[in-house]
Amino acid sequence: MELKSKRDRLQVGLLLLPGLLVFALFTIYPIVKLLYMSFLQWDLGSMLHQKFIGLQNYIDVLSDETFRIAFANTLLYTLVTVPGQMILGLLAAVLINAIPRFRVTFRVIYYIPVITSWVIVSLIFRYIFNTEGMLNYVLTNVLHLTVSNIRWLDSRWGGLTVAMMLGIWKGVGWNLVVFLAALQSVPQELYESAGIDGCGAFQKFFYVTLPSIKPTILFALVMLTIGGFNVFTSIKMITGGKPMHQTETVLTWMYYKAFNTGSFGYAAALSFVVAVTLIFLAVLQFRAMKQKDAANS
Amino acid sequence: MKQTSIKKMLALFLIAAVMLAAFTACAEKAPDTAQTQQPASDAAVPADDKAAETSTATPEEPVTINFWHHYSAQSAENETLMNVLIPKFEEENPGYKVNAVSHEWADLHDKILVSASSNTLPDVARLDIAWVPEFQKMNILVPLDQQMGDFNDVAGQLLPSAMSTAVVKGSYYALALNTNTKILFYNADALAEAGIEVPKTMDEMFAAIHALSGTNANGQQVWGLNEPALAGWNVLPYIWSNGGNITDDACTTATGYVNSPETAAAVQKLVDLYANGEFTGFNSGAIPMTDGFGTGRYMMLLEGPWKTAELAGAYPDFNYGTSEVPAGSAGSISVLGGEDIAMFNTANKEGAWKFMKFMTSEYAQEEMAKCGQIPVNMTALDSQTVKDASFAPFLEAITTAKARPTVASWSEIDNALTVAMTDMIVNGADVQQTLDQLAVTIDGLLAE
Repeated sequence: MELKSKRDRLQVGLLLLPGLLVFALFTIYPIVKLLYMSFLQWDLGSMLHQKFIGLQNYIDVLSDETFRIAFANTLLYTLVTVPGQMILGLLAAVLINAIPRFRVTFRVIYYIPVITSWVIVSLIFRYIFNTEGMLNYVLTNVLHLTVSNIRWLDSRWGGLTVAMMLGIWKGVGWNLVVFLAALQSVPQELYESAGIDGCGAFQKFFYVTLPSIKPTILFALVMLTIGGFNVFTSIKMITGGKPMHQTETVLTWMYYKAFNTGSFGYAAALSFVVAVTLIFLAVLQFRAMKQKDAANS
Repeated sequence: MKQTSIKKMLALFLIAAVMLAAFTACAEKAPDTAQTQQPASDAAVPADDKAAETSTATPEEPVTINFWHHYSAQSAENETLMNVLIPKFEEENPGYKVNAVSHEWADLHDKILVSASSNTLPDVARLDIAWVPEFQKMNILVPLDQQMGDFNDVAGQLLPSAMSTAVVKGSYYALALNTNTKILFYNADALAEAGIEVPKTMDEMFAAIHALSGTNANGQQVWGLNEPALAGWNVLPYIWSNGGNITDDACTTATGYVNSPETAAAVQKLVDLYANGEFTGFNSGAIPMTDGFGTGRYMMLLEGPWKTAELAGAYPDFNYGTSEVPAGSAGSISVLGGEDIAMFNTANKEGAWKFMKFMTSEYAQEEMAKCGQIPVNMTALDSQTVKDASFAPFLEAITTAKARPTVASWSEIDNALTVAMTDMIVNGADVQQTLDQLAVTIDGLLAE
């Protein structure tokens, strides 16, 4: 839209003003303040008179063994849950797109996990995988596959696996809806001409469907990567970081440092390390997609 | 055309104004709604009110004392506070109003951290004893023994073991408000069936744990001992009763204490119990404590007075007994819990002190004892109310129980302790080596 007169511009400016104000107050200001905090010694002893300590908080974060574990766990969580959700979501979308009836019903069924509370489903997953939980009951008492209960949640990899399964289960529905919308916008003529050229179903999927919905894939990839790095509730509810902080993720560790030990400066620096990582990943993802674009055309 | 757009803009401004008004209304409303759970907005409470207050003895404008606590909003304690204690205080002290605000336990801690940096602290707060050294380090608590002339008279009426939770670096930063500790809970039917006496010593207890562990009639595993975590609150009774410790009494060093032979022996006992499948509860997948105990999967545990009500609610038919923590070589030493009441250095000190004295008075303590709070006022402790209370079995243990080290870095020390305990008990790490390492870590944290 071209802004013709001064008055138009004024009107647009005024219309934007409330939104911009709220954005500045509740988003920009906290970010700037947080960045400032990350350069201060801000812990229990210095809560009221913080001292500028430069990059010390960042050095503390990066040299902290538990942070490295938490970061590795978060990375693993993202690497597993993002493709997991996208592949299953896309698969379900393709299948639902292919059936003539009950599309809405299936969409609703798949979407229910998305709208349920994280806390509630985390607790349910915990009850399923408890050492005395439902899964062990089924395995030992019903199917007689194992003699004694398996301690699913008590180890680093066990606890993380359960959290990742929860993440995938809960995220498939969102991917399904996003991909279904994208699939429905792919022009039918493309499939028809591909059919005339002798493409089978798989070839149609890889040469027509996937290239057509690439922007959606990129969108989902970026959103889910951010979501993966933000994993918090499920870990907090299922393992609480136990045993020995082995299942901690970056956000649960940040929460622990800030609110259990009062190290706000450390926590601020940690959140910026995470933010920078996310920005780096997003740029990388955009680049990769663009290069593929260039290679294809 | 021109007119419509002007109308639109006017409407827009109106909407913006209404929105802004809504925001500010949220922020200003807080003080009136003390009885309900407070949303985040009440951090902004009364910095301004306070500035206007004067500290004359009978002020003309009523002085508002802001009191933050974590009696839960729906509880009998909160009822008593709001409907009995505060009206009585206000009647006895004309010119003072108390604005009590209920928080969730964890919220209150975080809220105080945040309010401290924005200078919006209340006058008085009920604090978990573990928070006192932290807030002392933040330099927001008033050293009562240095500033209140009649401190010794007031403190003299309160239980010494409970008052020890308020001492940081030799000064008193709070008054004890209510206390608790842990005692032994045991499955009475299982003990009777196995023909085992209630254990009076640690050795008897370990023998009983061994005898009661195994499988039940349904083929399910049964554990003799349960602890829901491996933090100081959980392991210290075993360590202390056995003559071990975490630090010296002045909390200056851990070397020679946390890695002493006595501590190592106590920890080794727990390691062996776990290895034999007789001790559990602290892994992520374990059965929750009350359920495990109520359904006969956990035979014994050390717990506080709240467990009585929990068991009565969840397992009313369950037959259990209580006894003091079995005595080790150093006696029966349990761990102190409870709350203190403290004043922040931005407070109206005169009013705050009056309110603190009132809350620890015999009258207020006895009223609170009626809702299950164990008093610290020694006159109230002798009252019939207390002798008849459900927490009576805990009264003996309170006098011998010890407080966890009152140092600001306790939460980090506790974390290091938990990690080390898990490593030794669950992963089987070498006990002496791990404790030696832990001593170095704790020494570092104490020196900060």
